[in-house]
Amino acid sequence: GEPPARAPAPLGFTDVNLNSRNTYEVSRRRSAPEHLPHGGTAPAAPAPPQEPAERARRAGIAGAGSSFAEFFTRNFFTKRTKELKPAVQSAPGWKLFGKVPPRENLPKDSKIIQQEYEARTGRMYKPPPSSARRKNIEFEPLSTTALILEDRPANLPAKSVEEALRHRQEYDEMVAEAKKREIKEAHKRKKIMRERFKQEENIASAMVIWVNEILPNWEGMRATRRVRELWWQGLPPSVRGKVWSLAVGNELNITPELYEIFLSRAKERWKSFSEPSSETDTEDAVASVADREASLELIKLDISRTFPSLYIFQKGGPYHDLLHSVLGAYTCYRPDVGYVQGMSFIAAVLILNLEEADAFIAFANLLNKPCQLAFFRVDHSMMLKYFAAFEVFFEENLPKLFLHFKSYSLTPDIYLIDWIFTLYSKSLPLDLACRVWDVFCRDGEEFLFRTGLGILRLYEDILLQMDFIHIAQFLTKLPEDITSEKLFSCIAAIQMQNSNKKWAQVFASLMKDSKEGDKNHSPALKS
Amino acid sequence: VSQSSDFLFKFLVIGNAGTGKSCLLHQFIEKKFKDDSNHTIGVEFGSKIINVGGKYVKLQIWDTAGQERFRSVTRSYYRGAAGALLVYDITSRETYNALTNWLTDARMLASQNIVIILCGNKKDLDADREVTFLEASRFAQENELMFLETSALTGENVEEAFVQCARKILNKIESGELDPERMGSGIQYGDAALRQLRSPRRAQAQSAQECGC
Repeated sequence: GEPPARAPAPLGFTDVNLNSRNTYEVSRRRSAPEHLPHGGTAPAAPAPPQEPAERARRAGIAGAGSSFAEFFTRNFFTKRTKELKPAVQSAPGWKLFGKVPPRENLPKDSKIIQQEYEARTGRMYKPPPSSARRKNIEFEPLSTTALILEDRPANLPAKSVEEALRHRQEYDEMVAEAKKREIKEAHKRKKIMRERFKQEENIASAMVIWVNEILPNWEGMRATRRVRELWWQGLPPSVRGKVWSLAVGNELNITPELYEIFLSRAKERWKSFSEPSSETDTEDAVASVADREASLELIKLDISRTFPSLYIFQKGGPYHDLLHSVLGAYTCYRPDVGYVQGMSFIAAVLILNLEEADAFIAFANLLNKPCQLAFFRVDHSMMLKYFAAFEVFFEENLPKLFLHFKSYSLTPDIYLIDWIFTLYSKSLPLDLACRVWDVFCRDGEEFLFRTGLGILRLYEDILLQMDFIHIAQFLTKLPEDITSEKLFSCIAAIQMQNSNKKWAQVFASLMKDSKEGDKNHSPALKS
Repeated sequence: VSQSSDFLFKFLVIGNAGTGKSCLLHQFIEKKFKDDSNHTIGVEFGSKIINVGGKYVKLQIWDTAGQERFRSVTRSYYRGAAGALLVYDITSRETYNALTNWLTDARMLASQNIVIILCGNKKDLDADREVTFLEASRFAQENELMFLETSALTGENVEEAFVQCARKILNKIESGELDPERMGSGIQYGDAALRQLRSPRRAQAQSAQECGC
């Protein structure tokens, strides 16, 4: 029932703890005396005397601590040298002790004796304030304490000695644990710094490649393996907007002049709505005045609710008018689509990376992609096709989680709608969302669904423990500490291949099935 | 750690965009006003266990997007809801005028016996009021709705709205008007009630013992 002896922890980390250690020991000694078998702390077989060799070795390790080692062997290490040896050798911070003046070792030990004596006899003992002394106490290997106590006058009761020893062992374990933690944390900090540094270096060198090599030869290089790999790593922020623009393209042939025209039209409309008399507009006869007004009101409302924590799109913020302009111009450009909630997030992310007119051009072209058009028109039957295709790959990649969700009738629309509508810019941290956009620009809609599966994979273990409401809550409000590295390694592990069919083929066959289904079922439905 | 419940009710929060649906939910669950909230795309969720007349009821709350355009999506979430908060903004006539549409959807798509409480939110903005209390309470009466004016900002009547709605559902269960066992009622027995249902004999034996004492 006794904790095993541990190596003495290296010095220099936990001086602070020593005070509490002393008071802890003192109070424990006074309050709870316990009986321990005496032999428990001594080695089963006495170690052979090995003083000269041991001393030399230790002196070699400890460097400046040669007299220190001498002190150990001379005074205390008749029995326990062998036990101490591996501990001494394994202590990584051993060299630090060399800094401690060896002279202090002897006086310190007498202090300990006194301290323990006083503690046992019930008198108050205040730990010495000197830090040098404390360091030495801390450094004291646990086994020596027992030997110190054995050497004491016989009028002291023996059981307290064991208790003191046990406390010291407990204490040393605590110190060792704390040190382990600290070392681990220091390693972690170092690693983070190293990674950040490396990342910055990578970004800098990637930027040079993008600017000097890739962008000038865009069409020739965009599909090469090297560029695609570099692209996956994330675009350097300085070329991000440019690459997005190029990748999204401009199928709609929108020019900056065209943008200005739609913007001025939007501005006229805002003015006409703020004035009491409303003019008749033949072009938009389809949509009622009330609807359009509601849409404009809604844009105003939603702008203030777009990345509210950034304080740049809100009223009075630097990008408020810009966001208003881009969204307003779009509703004039595409009255058939109009403003739909979720758009403000997409426009905002583009505005953060592009000039106004370029942001509009990218926005209009992005929303013109089949998947985005289906969602922003809220074409429910098309959306269901996308969800169905998603489920095919969900089952393929994460069969266990897929069944778990099925058992709760938890359908993908519950979490995918938000993710797809805002292209993850609302649900993921902004920098991470931008990295998802990077690869979305490279791979198209397929990557949006792959990202979704990556998120599910990342949290699979947690999600498998949850019931319906907790899964739904979790996925509609993802943890904020989600990291780029972890998510992208999970996304990379998602295979977008289902029995040799890729996303586009799976989606096409679902579309075909439903058309045939419609043909087969339509007569029955009509009758 | 988690509290066991006697019943589980599915609740909806519906109403026009910007009426404060998500803020009501946040105030109800966190007892705080969320002043930097996003707009809801699709649906968000909340859950809370409340004590109603000695019964523990777990509310599973579906907070839906308000824009008209999303109606075709959010409609699919109505099925099996036992209760709903129908929210309008007292400072916006337009959100009040839309109530009839929301109500039609809810009555048609949720369970037949769905209990709806009308919430005139943003009660704290009385200076900008466009809908009087009297007018709204008359509308509520005509349509057999409960009615409260609420403020997600101050928290006034927020908890009450959820609790009153849940109480009415419980009353309907007790009077037999609502059958929790019927499919699509939006009501399930909670874990506590299930334990009792699974071992009725033991429960009886226990009560017999208690009588013996």
